[in-house]
Amino acid sequence: MNIFRKAAAIAAAAAIFVGLGAVAAKAQTLEAVKSRGTINVGMLVDFPPFGILDNAGKPDGYDADVAKLLAEDLGVKLNLVPVTGPNRIPYLLSGQVDVLVASLGITPARAEQVDFSQPYAGIEIFVFGDKDLAVKGPEDLSGKNVGVARASTQDTAITKVAPQDANIQRFDDDASAVQALLSGQVPLIGCSNTVVAQVEKVRPDTYDTKFSLAQQKQGIATRPGSDELMAAVNDFLAKAKQDGALSKLHEKWLGAPLPDFIANSKS
Amino acid sequence: MDYQLKFAPVFDNFGHLLSGLLVTLELSFGAMLLGTLVAIVCAAGKTGGPRPVRWIIDVYIEVIRNTPFLIQIFFIFFGLPALGIRFSPNTAALVALTVNVGAYATEIIRAGIESIQKGQVEAGTALGLKPVQIFRYIIVKPALRTVYPALTSQFIYLMLTSSVVSVISATDLAAAGNDIQSQTFASFEVYLVITAMYLVLSIAFSGLFSLVERMAFNYPLSR
Repeated sequence: MNIFRKAAAIAAAAAIFVGLGAVAAKAQTLEAVKSRGTINVGMLVDFPPFGILDNAGKPDGYDADVAKLLAEDLGVKLNLVPVTGPNRIPYLLSGQVDVLVASLGITPARAEQVDFSQPYAGIEIFVFGDKDLAVKGPEDLSGKNVGVARASTQDTAITKVAPQDANIQRFDDDASAVQALLSGQVPLIGCSNTVVAQVEKVRPDTYDTKFSLAQQKQGIATRPGSDELMAAVNDFLAKAKQDGALSKLHEKWLGAPLPDFIANSKS
Repeated sequence: MDYQLKFAPVFDNFGHLLSGLLVTLELSFGAMLLGTLVAIVCAAGKTGGPRPVRWIIDVYIEVIRNTPFLIQIFFIFFGLPALGIRFSPNTAALVALTVNVGAYATEIIRAGIESIQKGQVEAGTALGLKPVQIFRYIIVKPALRTVYPALTSQFIYLMLTSSVVSVISATDLAAAGNDIQSQTFASFEVYLVITAMYLVLSIAFSGLFSLVERMAFNYPLSR
């Protein structure tokens, strides 16, 4: 590509950004949504079990069910708009959707572009293992065997913090790592909160979480300044957490109730 | 097709690959030696043992030869702890490979033993050899010589099969490759290098086996 074409491409890209900027930043009001009678919700369809396509090709999953409840709560019809990881914030900012229920992790960088509700889902990864084992932090992993799924977030996180003489045993998937824990081949594993909940269902009172490796909360997002709409979303979430509706959905899709760090979190 | 090969991530982690290679060699040679011992004992039992012994050996051979190796290694690593038998991943891999190759090699060596004519054993007895000597010099050695090509191709297959032991987190060559691949995402380059390493291993094994053949079985069959 020669320099002129490159310059032209950059200019075109800049023009698109400026154009987007012009339509962006227009806050959405609750009234506008209600008078339209439909809420447009952006969600991922390639992120099971949060967002998937069902057999009929319609969006489904935890996010879709949360969006359904939200629309019901607002008394409007639901229009689900499939978005992708990279384009979900542009979809919201350019006004093509009113809110995102798109497994959007709450980060400071994103919070500069969009407004986040209180979390409606989340992932936390732990070091998890035998109840009798005294492990309080990464340094206690010294000389111990820890099972993980190869190349998973927990593999990366544990590899980073564990001392040199910790023996990290890498299995092909979470199921094998869990199997190694259950059969006593490893005393500790790294895994997410949903796996912890499933293991505790099979073997209650045998294991406990040792320490947290990382935590991510997912929020519903609106365009900045859509305060009224955001308040309605937050009211809905508070209600759905209170009456257990959200927890029921979480149980349906992730096989475990809503984790405490999400259920108790207001921001 | 303008893919640029980037081997730097592979060679930066070459030490990891070499330690994996060492484990693959240990597993292969360990299982070969132990498996051959298992096979000689089982083949002797199957050709000359009492009926219950033959029956037990038959069950062993049929169970191992008619189930996937992957399931056998899962059973040994994840299943046996329920009975209180617990191996480290690399030991479990060695046990699984030994048990597996033992069953195949039993049938191969049995064929060799059955090819020894009765008259030879009777000749040994007539010469006053002890039963142990007859077994060693008249039965096992010529039997191994006869089936040596079949046995060694089974051993090379064993070495290649050992590449699946990473499923129980054993740290062999394939596991090292998977580790590097998952950290650097240079999957094409990693697997290219690993493929080459397995190929070189196979060829080296073949060479080694023919060397052993020339040293151990280099005697004339008849005069």
